[in-house]
Amino acid sequence: MVKRKVAALEKIEADLVNLQYKIRRDPRSYAQEFHDQWLAYDAQRQIFISSPATVSSEDAKKFHDLVDLVAHVADLYPELTAPYPDHLKELLNQHHATLDKELREKIVGSLVLLRRKDVIDSTSLLTTLFPILISTSSKTLRSLLYTKIISDLRESNSKTTNHRLNRTIQTVLHNLVTSDRTSTKGMWATRITRELWRRQIWTDARPCDVMKEACLSDNEKVVVGGVRFFLGGDKEREELEDESSDEDIDIKKVKHQGVINKKTKKRQKAYEKAVDKIKRNERKKHAPHPLNFSALHLIHDPQGFAEQLFQKHLQNNKNKFTLENKLLILQLVTRLVGLHKLTIISLYSWFVRYLTPKQLNVTSFLASLAQATHNLVPPDVLEPLVVKIANEFVSEASAAEVASAGINAIREVALRQPLCMTETLLQDLVMYQKSKDKGVVMAAKGLQSLYREVYPELLQKKFRGKQATMGLRTGEVKQRQFGEEEQGGIEGIELLEKYKEEQKRRKREEALENGDAEKKDDDSEDDGFNSDDWEVGSTDSESSGGWIDVSSDEDDEPAKKKRRKQGDADDEAPELVDTSAHPEASAEADLISKLATTSILTPADLAKLEELRREAKVEKALGRTSKRKKELIDKHIEDGVTADDIELPAQLGKKTTKEERVALAREGKPGREEHKSTQAIRRAKKDAEGKSTTNKEKARKKNFMMTIGKARAKNKRSLVETSKSMRAHIARSKSGGRRRNGS
Amino acid sequence: MGSSNKKKKEKKKDFQKAKLKVGKVKAKAANFTDTSFKAKSIVVNQQTLATDGQDPVEQFKQNLTLAVNAKSDNQRRDALAYVTNQLSAHPPNNPVGTLGVLTKLLPLMSDSSASVRLQLLKLFRALPPTEVAPCVERVLMYVRGGMTHLSTDIRGDTLSIMEWLLDVAGDETVACPGGWLKTLNSFSSMLGWNPNVGAGISNQGWTSASKATLGTKRGPEAQARQIQVLTKFLQTGFRTEAPIPYHPTTYWNNLYRLPSTPSPFAHLNLFGIPRDEDSEIYPDRIARQRVFDTKWRAAITSGMESAKKEGGTVGRAAAALDRTLCVGLQ
Repeated sequence: MVKRKVAALEKIEADLVNLQYKIRRDPRSYAQEFHDQWLAYDAQRQIFISSPATVSSEDAKKFHDLVDLVAHVADLYPELTAPYPDHLKELLNQHHATLDKELREKIVGSLVLLRRKDVIDSTSLLTTLFPILISTSSKTLRSLLYTKIISDLRESNSKTTNHRLNRTIQTVLHNLVTSDRTSTKGMWATRITRELWRRQIWTDARPCDVMKEACLSDNEKVVVGGVRFFLGGDKEREELEDESSDEDIDIKKVKHQGVINKKTKKRQKAYEKAVDKIKRNERKKHAPHPLNFSALHLIHDPQGFAEQLFQKHLQNNKNKFTLENKLLILQLVTRLVGLHKLTIISLYSWFVRYLTPKQLNVTSFLASLAQATHNLVPPDVLEPLVVKIANEFVSEASAAEVASAGINAIREVALRQPLCMTETLLQDLVMYQKSKDKGVVMAAKGLQSLYREVYPELLQKKFRGKQATMGLRTGEVKQRQFGEEEQGGIEGIELLEKYKEEQKRRKREEALENGDAEKKDDDSEDDGFNSDDWEVGSTDSESSGGWIDVSSDEDDEPAKKKRRKQGDADDEAPELVDTSAHPEASAEADLISKLATTSILTPADLAKLEELRREAKVEKALGRTSKRKKELIDKHIEDGVTADDIELPAQLGKKTTKEERVALAREGKPGREEHKSTQAIRRAKKDAEGKSTTNKEKARKKNFMMTIGKARAKNKRSLVETSKSMRAHIARSKSGGRRRNGS
Repeated sequence: MGSSNKKKKEKKKDFQKAKLKVGKVKAKAANFTDTSFKAKSIVVNQQTLATDGQDPVEQFKQNLTLAVNAKSDNQRRDALAYVTNQLSAHPPNNPVGTLGVLTKLLPLMSDSSASVRLQLLKLFRALPPTEVAPCVERVLMYVRGGMTHLSTDIRGDTLSIMEWLLDVAGDETVACPGGWLKTLNSFSSMLGWNPNVGAGISNQGWTSASKATLGTKRGPEAQARQIQVLTKFLQTGFRTEAPIPYHPTTYWNNLYRLPSTPSPFAHLNLFGIPRDEDSEIYPDRIARQRVFDTKWRAAITSGMESAKKEGGTVGRAAAALDRTLCVGLQ
């Protein structure tokens, strides 16, 4: 129905907005008026309830306005409006399907408003909205309710974490997912949980539990929602954090605007807001970083979860999920296996079927296999898989991409469990470095360099390389048995130890300096000497890493033989140092255990430790370590293997097409649709940005007639006048122009 | 000079003849209309004005719709007048029934135009009284909504409708669900005699006229009229019921005949939502007296006393109210 416009005269008299404004200013005096409107609201509500489906648009509009009025002033008359929230809830619950769209929105908005005014509490609001969100078929209402629910949860958690509310909602979501596993209703649980996780409102194990249940649902959509959360939820969270920290305000600009613009209250407020925000950002920067565990770590009973997930969705032949979704689930299962070092033996035999080059998305399968491998997987389980990959993928007849993907996949598996390889197979695979395709060559070399470090005995002697051969002779490179673990320690604790030692020494010296000031010069000389001494020791231990870098690099490039000889000569000395440094290192290890066991590490210590670790990492990344190590450093352990990693070497040999090259060259250059001068393009760009012209441009474009008078006058000047003005010009330019910018 | 040169050129441009160029299409004129499109159907923007030869039933319905939806006040009023004419003809022509007319037109009670509201009252008066009685509850809802409307004019006109309703179906009005207490509530709120609201502000000042705000002018006439209608309402509520004459077949009729009134078991409220005290049914005089005594007597008496002191029309109306109360509460 068409709505009639309200006449202007009537508006003056019967304006609910005006009344609302007056009531809010003076609630006591307008109590009578409000009571009248409350009765009108009540009557209108009765009209509405008596026939909600056939109510006329007039009535709906009137009711809408009255609901709005009462909601805005309900907090001022708590006794009279006590039943109001219940009225709204009842209306929404019973008639949300038939209600007029605007009225429905208004009722939801009013409920949220009541929440903001603390008339009702969050729990009652959310328990009202949530069932409707799940049951309604209207898309607009759903999106409205969703945003309202999220914003309310955000708001109620903004100052302090509202544990009680969170627990209630999490229980509701958990029940929603577990009560009916076949329905799509669980989608909402996953959506809400994911959003709140992303915003770091929920960071504990309970939301992970909800998502875990979602993963074990029967409905494909719900399952995918849960799986995607575990695979990408944490990354999303980090990205959001980066984004929010990116937006910063230019306080100088705001200040300047305050100076040049008219001074209004609005501008003043904007300035205050900007200052406030900057202060808050500062505070945030200095605040201790919140320790947020990733969702994968917070899962309770990962072994059981991974097993269930695998049996239910992957091993089960009746499952009709699409391949894409199955791959996602596989990624999650293998990620869990790799991360928590779980043992699911049947997983590996399940893989066999999919390891053929004709399989769709086979690189993802290969990546998942690599991900599922860790040092506690029995080698005899992996061996058939590796053999299968080698047989299916790696042959002279297969395409270069296929072969390189196969070898690379084998390398990724072997990186995590070196014992999965037999001698003959490895020797066969290493021989592929004589292939014509660059991708295959690189993949085979990668495999070779990996085995040089982890298990050189398997390689033929000529492929072992110098370092590995030496290491074997000295017994330094030791082959690890299955299940053998490295002795544990705290990563980077030796750095902290060193730092502490240094600090202590410096303090002692300072004390000494203060004690006898006359000996200052001698002492300072001594200082330098001492610290040099210390640093010699420290550089020694580092040089061993540097030495590896040089040799491995040169092995990859046999063409540079001349330089290599020279390098060999240089290498002799570091090697000696390296062997001599070895017992030193063991002594260091003893010290470490002492520090970690004799003292308690304070938070300050931990922060320093983190800093030192990062520094060390940067140092290493600057190019003193081998490529493989650098790669491992770059890659966080928690990042899984992706299909891209497997496909990477195949890209190496490829030539780019002309279009690609052209596109690459064009990148970042201004668009040039028509023939135009660079100046004109620059000008157009500035115009588009809303920037003004420079003073020079203005002077150039100035109307000739405006300048002609001055030009004529200039011509008529006497010599003295001319020189005077020129001198003034020089003086002015020296002192920074008319505005004295320099001073 | 710069700008004047520009202006001169612009002026010249209007009178310049467009140059024709070889191989170029002639420039389009400023008032050129593109007629190249093809429409599959033609939509006429105006509706036909011819009304003759239309079906009277259709015409009635059209007017009924117009009365609610038309944008101009006059059109609405005219449509209402047409419906009134049809209703008051002999025999009345009403294809949709009284209930249909009422449900459609009740929202007009708070229409912005006074003439429409006046015409609406005329229309209601033309409705057959016996057919209004069943839908009293619905009418009363709108009346209550109108009685506490922001606009004073609408409140006044709603009172007229209340009077009409009391005339037409007084007993049903006071006996329907919510008809007694809720309406009293609205009356007292309208008069500003509600003791629960705005305590401490209604006793200040020397006039008992409710504190009018929001640019309304409420003179003593309006208040007097309100008191009059309240008096009438109370009179109807406290009217002694005539005892139903004995009829030998009544007992058997109750048992075996179909009831003649619509929804005879409404007082049991079998299917509706549970009612609170305000929206309860007070079917007979004694029940109404009792609940009035407990809930409203004190408030209305005190309001009445202060109104009496004012004298004039208000005082006279209050005196009438006093008499009604004396008679009614015996």
